[in-house]
Formats: sequence, structure tokens, C-alpha cells
Amino acid sequence: MKKRTFNTIFITVSVLAFLPLIFPLYGLVDSPMPITLGLPFNFFWVILWILIVFTAVVILYFLDPTNKIREDED
Amino acid sequence: MQDWQYALIIMLAYLAIALFIGLWAGKGRGGSVSEFAVAGRTLGMLVTACLMGGAVFSAFSFLGAPGWAFDRGAPAYYIIVYTAFGILPWYIIGPKIRKIGVRLDLYTVSGFLFERFRNKTIPILIAIIALFAFVQYLATQMKGMAYIFNIMTEGRVPIWLGALIAYGIVVIYVATGGLRAAAWSDVFQVMLMVVISWVVGIAVVLQLHGNTTSMFSRIAEERPGFLEIGAEGSTMSPAAYTTTILVSLIGLLMWPHLFSKSYSSKPKTIKRTVLVYPIFALFLIPLLLAGFAAIGAVQSGEVVPDEILPYLITNVLQMPGWLYGLVGAGALAAAMSSADAITHSASMEFTNGIIHQVKPDMPERTTLVTMRTAVVVIGGAAYLVTIFGGQGLIALLLGAYGSIVQFAPAVYSALYWRRATAAGVIAGLLLGASVNYYYQFMAEPLFDINPGILGLIANVIVMVGLSYATKPPAIDAVDGFVDIDKVTAKETTMK
Repeated sequence: MKKRTFNTIFITVSVLAFLPLIFPLYGLVDSPMPITLGLPFNFFWVILWILIVFTAVVILYFLDPTNKIREDED
Repeated sequence: MQDWQYALIIMLAYLAIALFIGLWAGKGRGGSVSEFAVAGRTLGMLVTACLMGGAVFSAFSFLGAPGWAFDRGAPAYYIIVYTAFGILPWYIIGPKIRKIGVRLDLYTVSGFLFERFRNKTIPILIAIIALFAFVQYLATQMKGMAYIFNIMTEGRVPIWLGALIAYGIVVIYVATGGLRAAAWSDVFQVMLMVVISWVVGIAVVLQLHGNTTSMFSRIAEERPGFLEIGAEGSTMSPAAYTTTILVSLIGLLMWPHLFSKSYSSKPKTIKRTVLVYPIFALFLIPLLLAGFAAIGAVQSGEVVPDEILPYLITNVLQMPGWLYGLVGAGALAAAMSSADAITHSASMEFTNGIIHQVKPDMPERTTLVTMRTAVVVIGGAAYLVTIFGGQGLIALLLGAYGSIVQFAPAVYSALYWRRATAAGVIAGLLLGASVNYYYQFMAEPLFDINPGILGLIANVIVMVGLSYATKPPAIDAVDGFVDIDKVTAKETTMK
């Protein structure tokens, strides 16, 4: 994979994980009910997407072509 | 012994440890500008993550976040959203800025934009806005420290003295040890406040409500709309919520103390820091829970929202003295771990953005002395503003604080847009800052959009328009930024 392609994927993934947390999409889930895992649903939703983006970035890190190059020079 | 005595002893012990770690980390590293400014460009993963984490885990998160939850309800989630997502662009731009910085020996935002646009007005402008914004930021941290000292000792340590002791220690270790001292004391401070925020958040919820489900059900029942955004009874509209997230998210990396950490770490360290960063956002959860827990237990109006957490601990809950001393230490740690990085960065931007523009070719020794002196002078100024600052001054500082995000068009076009020119950047910056100031202080908000976003729109339009109207910039300056990969590859083969 080229560095450019990787960057495009990284940006797309980040934006896709971010959109559910702002309006208009956030409006679809913006209610405290049902209370999920002890949190209002719209709060739980925020944490859910943070965990999703966290997992996605960890996976992307291992796919990142520039990380395979040796690291003493930069 | 009384509770306040325990609290005082624990807080003083904390301060002594913070000072010791700061002095120890900076010791025997020799006096080079590169060591003082960017810790020799070799900070590891743990310290870099704690520096970045400590800087956002500020007095705002310890005192402000519970205040938002208590006072405004669901809009408080914005803090978690922007912290988690604001760091992501760093994965892409951090390593690039690092590369450019190593080649041109940079350590500030001012220096970065100066080399790209080869214009002296830009670094001076950037340094002035940054300095004002930093003083405002520091004043908030210092008020937090002083307030904690005051309330935890039941008024025995006056505001001026609390701020002087806590911030004085920060100034001492930053002036002597530079970035490395700030970084290592942050490692200690971050660990302390993370542990404390979870202990306190859970303790508060348990004591007042039993569990979070019953707490939130009660709030939802008693205050319909409070746990939503834009509904009847909510404290914020969807447009305001969304644009507030956007402006904080874009602005996060533009803060010079965060931006310049690109220079002090290797690309892999930068990327790994981005990887673990969402965890810092999740550390804020218990602080929000504590704020929500106060609803019902404390009448709104009884206390200023920002003081809700210490108020709960000292006046509402039954806690042993040593525990509330620990809370005090945690809040001090939050404030100090932001204050050290900011004081350090303020000194860098001032020296590099203003002094070096007026007096280029300054010898290394003089530069280092200037940087150290600037730490003390800026620290002193921030202290005086905190204690004696008047209303007019505060509006000016708040205006600068809101203007940091206006650096974004300049920084991103420096990295990716060949055609951007100095004239475009200067005009965009000035107009963006003015629009932001106008809508922040003088006019009603437009469609409930955050003033910073209005400023950004004006900024980008003017920057693009004027850049096309002026002569293209020097090719070699642009290549060293936009095409840094090619340039360094070529330079290595030539060696």
C-alpha cells in the first residue's frame, strides 16, 4: 500500500467514525433512554464510537506502510 | 489532627514530589537550546503520551467538566468527543511536521510558518496571539490551583499564596530543566490524577445515588430535556453543540504547546501516542459522572458550577481528610501538568517568534538565557494577571484564546497547499481573529454557530482569494514543506 492511499483510508475512517457524533446524525440517537450499561443512551453512543475509532486506529497502525521502514533516521 | 491539616500536608507533599521530579529530570543534561526546547528530539512514548495527555487534562477537565455536567447536562459530552477525535489528524501531520522541523531545526509554530512563508509579520502575529491566549490559559489554571488550596484548607491559604506556591514550583522546574522536566513531572501528575478521578467519581456516585442507572433515571425524570441536545429543556442547540465540537477539535493541535510536540518525538512515537490517546478521553468519564451526581444534592445557584467538585467533597460528602487531600493533589496535578507545558511553549514562541525576528543570528548561549528568562517573566506576568487582572484585559485574553483555531488554515496550507502566500495567510489570520472577536463579545451569535467557526470561514475565503491574487511563493520554501519526503530523499542520496 502506498503512503497516499493509507492517508486517504485513515482520513475516511476517522471522518466516518466522527459523523455519528455530530448533528444531523447524532439527532437520531439523542435521547437518554434506554439507559445502557448505566449510562444515558446518547452518552453510551459517544463512548461506543470512541471505542470503535480506537480499535480502527490500532488496526490501521499495523497496516501503515511507513511503520515498516527502519526508524533511526526519519 | 483536623481534616484541613491532612489535606494541607498531602498537597504540600505532592508539590514537593512534583518539584523533585522536575529538577531531577532536567539535571545534568547540559545547556543546549535543542535540549531545552525539544529535549534533544528524542522523547519516548510514555513521556510524549503523558505530555499530550497532561496538557488536555487541565484544571478545565478537573473543575470545568463536572461543572458542565452539573450545570448544562448532555452538552458536556462535547469535551469527550473533541478530546478523542482532535488528536487524530496528528497521525498524518505530526510525522510530517517532525520531518520538516528536523531539516530546518524548528521548535515552534512561529518558526514553522516563518520558514514556509518567509515573512516576518507572520511569526510575530502568531507569537502575540499565542502569548495572550497562553496567559489566559495560565490564569485559569492558577485560579484552579489557588481555589483548591483555599477550599481544602477551609480558607486558611489565601488565593494569592496558593497560586504563588503551586505555580512558582512550575516556573522553577521549567526554567531550569526545560521540556524534559515538564515531561517527566507530567508522567507523575497524569498517573496521579487518573487514579484520583476514578476513585472520586465512583465514590461520589455511590454515596449519593447507589449506582449510575438510578442516578440517570432520576435526572431524566426530574429534568426532561436536560440529558438531550436541542430538545425542550436542553441547554444547547444542535448547531451550537456541533460547531463547538468542531472548533475545539480543529483547534486542539493548533495550540503551540501541542503542535510543537511534533518536533520532540519520532514519527512512531507520535503515531503510538495517537493510538493510546482516546483512553485519555475516557478518563474524563468519572469527572462527568461526579458532576451529574451533584444534581439534586446541590441546588444550582448555591455554588459556581466550576467549583462543584471540591464543593461536593468538602461540604456534601462524608470523606476522611486524607482522601480529600488526595483530591486536592489530583486537581493541582491537573492544573500544573497543563501549566508547565504552556509556560514552556510560551517562552519558546516568544523567543523564536518575536526576539529572533528582531535580532536574527543570536548566539546559542544568549538564546538559551532568553528562553529561561522568558519562562520567569511570562510566568510572573500571568501570575499578576490572575491576581489583579481587570475586565478589559480579560476580554482581550479570551479573544486571543478563541483565536488559536485561526492558525489552522495557515498550518494546513503550509503543509499541503503550494499556492498559499504570506499575504493570504496574514489577511486570513487577522480577519478570522476579528470575526471571532466580534461574534464572541459584540454581536449575537449567527444561527447559533460558534464564533470560531464563523472566523474560520472568513479566514479560509480571504486566504484562498488573496493567495491567488498575489505572486506564488518561492519554490524551494514550498518544496521543503509540501514535498518534504522528496526533498529529504534527495538530500540523503546526495550525501
